[in-house]
Amino acid sequence: MDSGHVAAADHAAPQTSVPEDPHFGKASGGKVGMWIFIAQDGMSFGGLLFAYGILRATATEWPVPSDILGIALTAIATFILICSSLSMVFAVEAAEKRDQVGLVRWLMVTIAGGLLFLGVQVWEYMHLVHAGIGFAECTWEGETVNSLFGSTFYAVTGFHGMHVTAGVIYLMCILRGAMKGKYTQGGTSSSPVELVGLFWHFVDLVWILVFTFIYLL
Amino acid sequence: MTDQTTTTDESAAEAGHGGHAEGEQTMRGLYITIFLTLGLLTVFEVYIPEVYSAAWSGTTKMLLLTFLAFAKAGLVATYFMHLKWEKPWLRWIGLMPIYMGVALILIMLETMYR
Repeated sequence: MDSGHVAAADHAAPQTSVPEDPHFGKASGGKVGMWIFIAQDGMSFGGLLFAYGILRATATEWPVPSDILGIALTAIATFILICSSLSMVFAVEAAEKRDQVGLVRWLMVTIAGGLLFLGVQVWEYMHLVHAGIGFAECTWEGETVNSLFGSTFYAVTGFHGMHVTAGVIYLMCILRGAMKGKYTQGGTSSSPVELVGLFWHFVDLVWILVFTFIYLL
Repeated sequence: MTDQTTTTDESAAEAGHGGHAEGEQTMRGLYITIFLTLGLLTVFEVYIPEVYSAAWSGTTKMLLLTFLAFAKAGLVATYFMHLKWEKPWLRWIGLMPIYMGVALILIMLETMYR
């Protein structure tokens, strides 16, 4: 078959399988691209946590995070994010089973989890700013605290919060397509749901590390 | 990796990507097990700072919490992100950010033994 016939065939019928690649197997180009993005984004978070570690280790004074930050509330937010990861897995599963109702339902649950997490983060920021923990100046119960505590806290959690926001918007775009039945037609039609799932799990994975290094240690 | 292991992994991957009903049930059970493990480890993590000052040194607390965080992150990447069923090239791409941790350890060692 010449190239003209191949191009015509590609337009005539939806692709139902991804050709096997010697290095990446059945992973689609979109999936490999998403993993490369995740790897470089992971290094961005790594750089921020790296800087946090050095600043904290070299500081003469650093408050105990659990004295200032609400560990119990953030642990609940962490659990919400883990729950949304599970609902995302179920959404991918529903798309692969061509279950449109299930896909829409689990995507909605995942979006709700993301919005709830963001709500907790906004509430926490408002509470901390009101209590004196700013980005450039920090006071806690009348005492001056190393301002780097606030700077690093807002930089790392804010960068993650932007990822959650982007993830929720991304999920909403996918939800719109899911409601029209775009991702439940079999073959590779469910691929976009898998890709948004990879991004969402990455956001969850990063928060697991941020929660430990910023809040618990 | 042996041929038998490869076959098992491929079957699981097939189940994870819309295989037979029995395989789907197995995958769903696996996902719920991972979810429950993550939840339990989070409870354990939160409990550690409460007790460490009386029972453990700061270094023990740091090492334990870091280990738990990477274990949880590993579970998410391996099972929820399906890295377990991907080819090694994709796994290596996913592991690239760990080089940041290696760089941090090297800098710490250099500072300690300067």
